[in-house]
Order: sequence, then structure tokens, then C-alpha cells
Amino acid sequence: MNDLMVANASSRQSAIAVNTIQQYLTFVLGREVFAINILNIKEIIEYGNVTEVPKMPGFIRGVINLRGAVVPVIDMAARFDKPTAEITRKTCIVIIEVAHEDSTQVVGVMVDAVNEVLDIEAGEIEPSPNFGANIRADFIEGMGKIAGKFVIILNVNKVLSVGEIAELAGSARSTSQL
Amino acid sequence: MSLDESLQIYIMESRDLLEQMEEALLTLEQNPQDEEKINAIFRAAHTIKGSAGLFGLDFIISFTHVAESVLHKVRNGEITIDESLVALLLEVGDFIGKLIDHVAESKTPDADTQAVSDALISRLNVYLSAESDMVPAAEHAATEVAAMTTVDEAESIERVETDCWHVSLRFGVNTFRSGMDPFSFIRYMKTIGTIAHLETMQQGFPALEEMDAESCYLGFEISYQTDADKLAIESIFDFVRDDCEIHILPPHSKISHYIDLIEKLSNEDLKLGEILVKCGTLTPNELESSLQQQATQQAMDKEPIGQTLVNQHMVQPDVVNAALEKQKQVKETKNSESNFIRIDANKLDELINLVGELIIAGAGATLVANKTANSEMTEATSTISTLVEQVRDSALALRMVQIGSTFSRFNRVVRDVSKELGKEIRLEISGEETELDKTVVEKISDPLTHLVRNSMDHGIESAEARLAKGKSAYGTLKLNAFHDSGSIVIEVSDDGAGLNRDKILAKAIEKGLVSAEQSLSDGDIYNLIFEAGFSTADAVSNLSGRGVGMDVVRRNIQALRGTINIQSQPGLGTTMRIRLPLTLAIIDGFLVNVAESAYVIPLDMVVECIELSTADYEASISDQRDFINLRGEVLPYLKLRDEFECKGAPPARQNIVVLQYAEQKIGLVVDKLIGEFQTVIKPLGKMFEHVKGIGGFTILGSGSVALVLDVPRMMQLANIGKNKEQEVVGVN
Repeated sequence: MNDLMVANASSRQSAIAVNTIQQYLTFVLGREVFAINILNIKEIIEYGNVTEVPKMPGFIRGVINLRGAVVPVIDMAARFDKPTAEITRKTCIVIIEVAHEDSTQVVGVMVDAVNEVLDIEAGEIEPSPNFGANIRADFIEGMGKIAGKFVIILNVNKVLSVGEIAELAGSARSTSQL
Repeated sequence: MSLDESLQIYIMESRDLLEQMEEALLTLEQNPQDEEKINAIFRAAHTIKGSAGLFGLDFIISFTHVAESVLHKVRNGEITIDESLVALLLEVGDFIGKLIDHVAESKTPDADTQAVSDALISRLNVYLSAESDMVPAAEHAATEVAAMTTVDEAESIERVETDCWHVSLRFGVNTFRSGMDPFSFIRYMKTIGTIAHLETMQQGFPALEEMDAESCYLGFEISYQTDADKLAIESIFDFVRDDCEIHILPPHSKISHYIDLIEKLSNEDLKLGEILVKCGTLTPNELESSLQQQATQQAMDKEPIGQTLVNQHMVQPDVVNAALEKQKQVKETKNSESNFIRIDANKLDELINLVGELIIAGAGATLVANKTANSEMTEATSTISTLVEQVRDSALALRMVQIGSTFSRFNRVVRDVSKELGKEIRLEISGEETELDKTVVEKISDPLTHLVRNSMDHGIESAEARLAKGKSAYGTLKLNAFHDSGSIVIEVSDDGAGLNRDKILAKAIEKGLVSAEQSLSDGDIYNLIFEAGFSTADAVSNLSGRGVGMDVVRRNIQALRGTINIQSQPGLGTTMRIRLPLTLAIIDGFLVNVAESAYVIPLDMVVECIELSTADYEASISDQRDFINLRGEVLPYLKLRDEFECKGAPPARQNIVVLQYAEQKIGLVVDKLIGEFQTVIKPLGKMFEHVKGIGGFTILGSGSVALVLDVPRMMQLANIGKNKEQEVVGVN
């Protein structure tokens, strides 16, 4: 089962390289627009019923029940060290599959609103700039050009790196204890 | 069933048998007269050898055959069991285990294995040296296993009267397909001898509608009169030997050979009389007359036919006993077949997962029913939830196994290690019927082994030292298990020297684990031995003393949500107490609310609930006095609100849940008590694995997620916090 999922995840990676046109989901965080390759996305659900987990860093909102599975919810804005927006009717949780070691982990990402699914040709994607994007450079997979504007395409495996988040969660615990 | 599958079953069975053999040998060492055990060992070796023949595992057959010959003599009382023989047989058992491992890895034994095998065989042969012809027999055994060999001719024990050869034939299913005609063999037999009697075995025949015309189901028992020698008779069947079961017994065979044959015959449910007739031991007439006699006697005392035959001196008691044993075995296998089913553990896990989902769904239904305030609906859901609870209990019970088999494995460990150390140590086992989850059993075995070895190596003194202290020369190691408030407690205790408090402390200070000024209780000091890299043994022995074990032991136990503590009295001994949760999957929980979140506390740990009085609460704020007077007892408490850094002010009324774990009582201050809740524990997952105080997630009837508290961990954290405060005070 896990092998299969890993195989899927890796075949997606190769699919990105082969196909020239990829589909991306764009969403809003604060006033900025970001994009994620839709192959990583499982579903989008309404925000709600999040249970807080104590002693966690701010960007871990808590956990939700996704049809019997307990899924952590990450506040994407807080992950980029930006102020968390208020929860509105448009607030969503995007359920994303992230590769971790030999398996995949399902993670929910809280965003202010989702926009649309766009086709972006490989030629329309520029490499990420080294600085100036105001989020960590390794979070960015590339800059997609849409109607003359740039949209940041996120590298979900980096932004939602399970290992890194677990580490941050561990250190948050020890600082709160001292 | 493919050959591969049956080979797997063979491997599994052989391992079980070897385990039984080992256990029986260890009992024999204490009590050499136990015939039951001798038989058990013989049967185990015999079955392993016999089944190995089915798969053509010659290296197992040839080795096991020698062992079996020795056991055979033991069983006949020709060799008496002593310590050295038990030791040798234990080694033999281990070696057969190794050979089985080879089979499992589908390797053939290498030169080293062969060397070990030769060494063991020559040691076994010492016991057989009375009959020098045994040795070549052993070498030929691999090819001749089916023929049960013509050994022990010189022996002068009872032989069966018949002067005919006895040939037992079971043709393979594929005989026709490979172009053979069973009758041509019978016809050929007639050319070199006379068939005195032929009995067709019908047990192998399936029902008419299931019969495959191309398959051969035939079997014959033949009483054969001939001057030809065994080799000549065997050569008749050269063409079919590979897929047929052929047994040939010479005239005037030893009774034990008939016994073997009876045991070897496939488990057809035969009548005792028929077995005897078919083996040629009795004629049908003899059987008939004894049957008649039985019928007349039946009204009086229902004497079994075997007894009747013995009374009439028609057949020797040994033969009847063997036949009886065979019948009993057939019955026993049937019984155990109907009582036990081997199930893939994954299927069981799947069932438990489903039951978990069922509980969650059931809780949701109950919630909806309560909302609609329809009394009929509420009643129906409550009936369902009672049933679901029962289903849950039986599903979990499926995974429960007794700890006895894990414990009895230590008989061997203790025996070997005490020999190695030159100490006399006895093992006492109690509470072996205590049940716990299978996954827990599997994971606890290694830590236990370590603790046992440690106790024997460091705890129990040498015989001289013990005598000097006025203790008995032999040390005693005790393994005990019992249930205690939702946990299982496993104790490893010895009556050795006890832990040396000062030595441990000195070592810990030297290693920088604690500072010299720190004041520690005895328990705290003993627990230091679980720190990584800690070992007080001056000399590193083969067994322990490298200081890599105890921290691993503690880590393994903590991974099972368990704890370990030590009690020790200088000069009197040490007790290590492991405490583990009974199951890892589904528990009875107690639901509480703190701020907006729901938390589940394992119900088994909850003693009572009381209200936190305003006076006490104010005292805790003004004086930082986090304890109350509970009927004259001091009850320290943790405020979950503070512990989990919840926002907002506490409600006007707060409650204390009094928990007990191990010997410690602690209070948890919560906002609201909700009640009992069947909790399906979902693992924390990778992202939360470092969170302390939380043991897992669970899903409530409403669909929202609640957190399961890890009470032992919270208590530990509370204790550490207390110690840190002490340190601060000390420094000031």
C-alpha cells in the first residue's frame, strides 16, 4: 500500500518533467497568490472542527478528523512567518499528500481562499529567485507566469516537510517547558 | 495447497515441536522418570523426521534419525536419562532448529553445519555404541527412512508372531498419470513370493462425486511370504518409490517397528481392530472372535477390545498400546483442529480496526439519537452500543495471549546462563496465565531477556558468597505477572545481593549524570542504571556489563507506553517491575473538557472525581500550593489548563480527577467532567511524535478529535519539574 503511494508520488514527479502543461491550484494567503501542483492535492474541505494540540508551535493549528483519519492542519501563513488571517467563510483546508521517508503523510493546509485551477506550460515557469520573494527560497519550486503576473509555485515537500515540522514541534515543547 | 505452503506449515510445526521438545527436556532434567515427557520428545523428533521425508530434506532426516534412535532407547528404558544426555539433546534440538532455519531460507547446509552435525552424531553414537550396526544405519537413514531400517537385530525383546513380511503401500495421487498400474506391482510381487493376505485401504477414497478418474487413491496392506531379501522387495517399487508411501517390515519384526508403522500411517480414522488386522498382527478371525467376546462382555464392563485381545494373549500389550496411542492421537488432532484456527495476524488487526470504526460510528449514532429526543431511537442505539462493546471485548480478547509461553522460554535461558556463570540458579514462574496483547508479548521478550540475564549476572552472587552470607547455595530468580488496574505488571526478582546504592551514585557522579550536591531518593538512584552508558560492573562479562542494555530496555518499554521501576534491598535482592498497558488499540476512557478541547483519560487509572474547592484554588494561585487534603492524604495535582497553556480564564467550578498509576496518586484539574467513553486510540503520527503528555488521538461521536492523555508520561514530567525546582532551590 505504502509502496504504491510512494510509487504514485514519484511517478508524479516524473510526470512533471515529461508533460509540458501542468495544472496548478491557486490560492490566497493574505494578499498574495500561491500555486500548488494539483497532483499533490487530494481534496479541499471547508474549515472547521479543528482540535488544538497543546504545546505546538503556532503554525500547527491542530488536527481534524478526515473520515476516520486524524490529519494535522498547518497554518500556511504562519509557516511563512506572516500574520494569521481571520477565519472567514472562504477559509479552506487543502488536503495534501507529502512524501516522508518511505511513505506518504496526509497534511491539511489552511488557506484564506482557493481561486482556480490553471494550466501553466513548463516554458512559462521561471526558476525561483534567490531572494526578494519574502519566503524561504527552498519553499519555492518556481515562478509561474500567468497573464503577465508571477505566481509563486510552492514545493510542498519542503514547505510541509514532516521531519522539519516534527523537529520544530519538539523544540517548541522544550522552550515552553523552561 | 502448493508445496511451498505446506513447507511453510512444516517449518512452523517443526519450530513448535522443537519448543515442546526443549520444554520437555528441561522438565526431564528435574524429573528423569517422567515417561510422558520422554514420549513427547520422541514424538517431536519422530514427526520432524517423518515430515522431512515428505519434502526430501535428507540432511534433516539423516541427523534426526540418529537422535531418534537414541530417544528410542531412552523410551525403552535401555538408556537412562542423565544431565549430560539432556544437555546433548538440547544441543541436538538447537541444531535441528538451525537446520529448519536453513530450510526456511532455502539454503543447503554448508561445511560448518556439516561439521557440527558430524560432531553431534558421533556424540550421540556413544549412546548407541552397544549396537555397532546402528552407525551405518544412521548414514543410510536418509534414503531408507520409509523402510524403517532393519536395526537392532540382536535385541531380544518381544517380536510379532507372524512369519510374513508386512508391506504397507500407499500409492501417490499421480500414479496413473505417470503411466503406472498399481496392479502390475502386485502381480510382480506374486512372481517372487506369495501374497498371504491383501487388504485394500479405502480410507483414501473420496466421495463418488468428488472422485477424479485420473487420480489414484489406492492403498494396500499386504502380508507377504517370500524368500527374497528386503532389498529385492524394495526394488519392486523402484518406479513408484518417489511419490508413494511404502513401508516394509521383515518377518518377526520387533514390536516397536509395528508401533512405528502404526504411528506412521496417515491419520485415517481406523478402528483399533482393523489396524491390527491390516498390520498382519492379527487375522480377521482372531479379530472377529474378540469382537464377539467384547459384545458379550459389553453389558458387564464395556472392556475395550484392546484389553480383550490382551486377555486372550492374542496380541502383545505393546502393540495394543501403540494402536491405542494412535487412536488417541487421531482423536486429539481432530479435537485440536476443531478448537484452534491459525489466523493471519493481519486479518485480526483488520478486524480490530473495523471494530474501532464501528465504535466511532456507534458513538455518532448515539449522539444523533439523543439530539432527536426520540426515546425509541435512543433505546435502540443504547442496545447497539452495548453489543458493540461486547464485540469490542471479544475482538480484543482474540489478540490476548497468555504470557506463560514467553516465561517458559526462560527456563532454557536460566539453565544455560547459570551453567556459563557457574552459579546454581533456580527459576520460579508464577502468573503464567496472565493475558496480554500479542504485540506487547512480542515486544517485551527482548527487554525481559536482558533483565533476566542482568539479574543472574550482577544480582545473584556465587554459591560461596551466598553461603558466607547465610543464604542457600542456589539463587532463586522469580518471574511473575499479574493484572493491576488496566495494566499488566511483570516482575523479575532475584534474591541476590541487591543494588549497591553508593556505588551507583558514585558512578553516576563520575559519569556526570547527576551532580554531587543533588539529594536523591533511593528509587531515583536505582533508576539511574537505566541511563545510557551506565554500568557499574567492574569487569565486562560475556553477558552484560557493557552498559548498552538497560537504557534500551527502558526505551523499549516506554515505546509500549509502559514504565519500569526497581525495588532493591541490600543483601536481600532486587525486583524489577515492568508495567504495561493491556492493549494498544482500544480502551475504556474517561472524557473531560479543558478550555474548548476534549481529553480522554484511561478509565482504569481513574480512582474518583472531586470538586476543586474555591479555597484550594485560591491557595494554589496565591501560595503556589498545588496539593489538596484528600481525606487526610496529601494529593498533589496538575492543572491541565496551565500544563497545556490554554487561553482564557478557568470556569467558576473546576474538578479534580484523581488518578492512580503504579504506586502514585495524582490529581488532574479539569474544567468539566463528561463521562465514560469507548476510546479507539489513533497513533500520534510522525508530526506529533515528540509531544509529551499526549498518547494518541481519538475521534468523538460528534466527529471531532480528542486527545488521549499519556498519564505515566505526565506523572514523569511532573516529577522532573519538581526535581528541577529542587535544584533551583539548592543552587540558591
